[in-house]
Amino acid sequence: MSVKMTRGKRFAAMGLGLALLAGLLSGCTGESGKETIRFTFSKREAIGFMTKLVADYNASQDETEVVLDTSGVDVVSASFVRGNPPDIALANYNMETARFVQRGALSDLSGTDAASRIREDLQPLMDQYGSYPDRTSALPYSVMASSVIYNKEVFAQHNITVPTTWSGLVAACEKLKAAGVTPFYATWKDDWTIAQGWFDYSVGGQVDTLDFFKKLDGEGVDVGPDSSVSFQKDFDQPVEKMLTLTKNFVNKDAASRAYGDGNLAFSQGKAAMYLQGPWAFSEIAKTAPDLQLGTFPLPMTDDPKDLRVRVNVDLAAWIPEASKHKEAARDFLEYLYRPEVIDAYNASQLGFTPTKDAAGVPDPRIQGMVEYYEKGQVYQGPSVLVPRTIPIMNYTQALVFGANPASTLSTLDADWARLAFRQ
Amino acid sequence: MTNGSMTNKSSFKVERVNWSTTTILVLCAVTVLLPLYVTVSMAFKTQGQAVDGNAFSFPAPFSLDGFVQAWTLTNFPVGAAMSLLVTAGTVLATIVLAAFASYAIVRNWERRLFRYSFFYLLGAMFIPFPVVALPQIQLTGRLGLDNPLGVILLATMFQLSFSVLLFTAFLRSIPMELEESARIDGATTWQTFWKLIFPLLAPMSATVGIFAFLYAWNDFMMPSLIISDPALQTLPVRQNLFQTQFSNNYHVSFASYLMAMAPAIVAYLFTQRWVMAGVTQGAVKG
Repeated sequence: MSVKMTRGKRFAAMGLGLALLAGLLSGCTGESGKETIRFTFSKREAIGFMTKLVADYNASQDETEVVLDTSGVDVVSASFVRGNPPDIALANYNMETARFVQRGALSDLSGTDAASRIREDLQPLMDQYGSYPDRTSALPYSVMASSVIYNKEVFAQHNITVPTTWSGLVAACEKLKAAGVTPFYATWKDDWTIAQGWFDYSVGGQVDTLDFFKKLDGEGVDVGPDSSVSFQKDFDQPVEKMLTLTKNFVNKDAASRAYGDGNLAFSQGKAAMYLQGPWAFSEIAKTAPDLQLGTFPLPMTDDPKDLRVRVNVDLAAWIPEASKHKEAARDFLEYLYRPEVIDAYNASQLGFTPTKDAAGVPDPRIQGMVEYYEKGQVYQGPSVLVPRTIPIMNYTQALVFGANPASTLSTLDADWARLAFRQ
Repeated sequence: MTNGSMTNKSSFKVERVNWSTTTILVLCAVTVLLPLYVTVSMAFKTQGQAVDGNAFSFPAPFSLDGFVQAWTLTNFPVGAAMSLLVTAGTVLATIVLAAFASYAIVRNWERRLFRYSFFYLLGAMFIPFPVVALPQIQLTGRLGLDNPLGVILLATMFQLSFSVLLFTAFLRSIPMELEESARIDGATTWQTFWKLIFPLLAPMSATVGIFAFLYAWNDFMMPSLIISDPALQTLPVRQNLFQTQFSNNYHVSFASYLMAMAPAIVAYLFTQRWVMAGVTQGAVKG
């Protein structure tokens, strides 16, 4: 008996050892002669969709085996340092990715079929983060448009139509407030919700952000009260309007509410409007799957022609220069950009497809933003265009908590000038 | 059942309840038990109930969905095996290497080389991993150590300074005479160490092992940066998936944390005697 047991244990130990060894080795050699490429994708909500997509692709051909890597952005940065980056990635396009672009770590995709189908008017969104000479380093894959989310039932109940002007918005808020309904649900405990929603929508609705930041870059160290553009001059008006809304028309406990609380409260009909992006829809649907929701751009001027929606490149595709399987990765890239694949992905995530031949957006919840997106009436949020070393989110939080707008904006100017001086 | 006047008359004075202390201790216990309760109940909730804002409510209906999702999303068996490998490797290597180093240092304290090497080892306490992360990533990459083995090596290195500190303090309290008697019986240095010193170090080894266990099992940053193949990643890194800005999946996250926490709790239950003994020993004889 005891002999059997030790033998059993020995076998178990051997099995474990072999399994580990096999695991280690499988990292080096591809199985069954297929070329293995590593595909980084870490958008949590869409991992299910991507897993299925990758399985479909692997089954559809027998040259390449795509391995889905969901381990996240830190791991990718480390792999660039090490010299074995992923072969292809779909990742959020931001200042972090821009570093790889600016240093030429990403290969040129201009020759691909996918690149020729991208809408040209979206290129400024990509270039805003910097580019590398004569290269198309990354292609947009999914564009997220965000604006005001509103509860259609509450609007109908109080006979309110979607406002298209600033005065219309204020009137609608007054009406809701008089009826005892909270106009906006705010979640100021999470500072990013202020930067993403309140601040970006207010500023973007009035200021041409791309142009502003281009000029601001030109001013560099001279940014301040006397420069041609500055935060204190150009953002003064929008911030004042933002504060008009935040002082009068939000829930009383906004300061202690976080993003999760906001989704729950909004799903329970506790407010009429909510300044969040389309990612909040699936969260709201967890507790209220049948709620009638819609979207409209926050009107900041009295001219309906000025209406614009905030966009950001939620996912961009890129292939690192250091990848040893660039050809296979490009084949997979073309697969990802097939109309039926890219449209299905964006439909599932309520995103917009950045290709010229994109199918319409069927989801009624984001229908209110379609016309602006298609006409190119879009802007990029100022909060994402400020480098991370400037704590813009905290500044916006200070603003809604009552900090002096003029001095906060001039601090922002000083920060910008200091950063320009260092670089 | 008993009140002040009754216990005063009876002879069982020992049974009188010290209410102020009890209240404080109950409050202390609650700070631990309440989060644990939320963790456990949250893990068994459905998605809708998990985000409904009532953290303390009892799961109704009772759902295993969180566990199923967490299991598949993190590929739990592989992740746990990797964590176990890294942890076991780190614990063993730390105990053995730290005991070796401490023995050599304490018995040769009068020599400058050993004394300075002690300070050198302690110096690592002042260097947190993030400071040296970049060169370590490059080095491990070039040496083919961008896998769990590299993590074991580095984790052992970072754990070494504190462990050597504990071991040397303990070793100083072991009388030289014991060793001399072993020498007289003809034992070599190697034999003295393994047959006499190492067994005597057992309580401290347990402490060192537990600290190394907790560190290696819970560490996020080092494996996330050093291990390049996602298939060989450890559990904490796989679980990072649940921490996103835009969505809350408390039931999946908590189910996953619970599964990852289990080994640490089990290990503690079995070894808490030694943990307590070891920590107080180290504290008194420092």
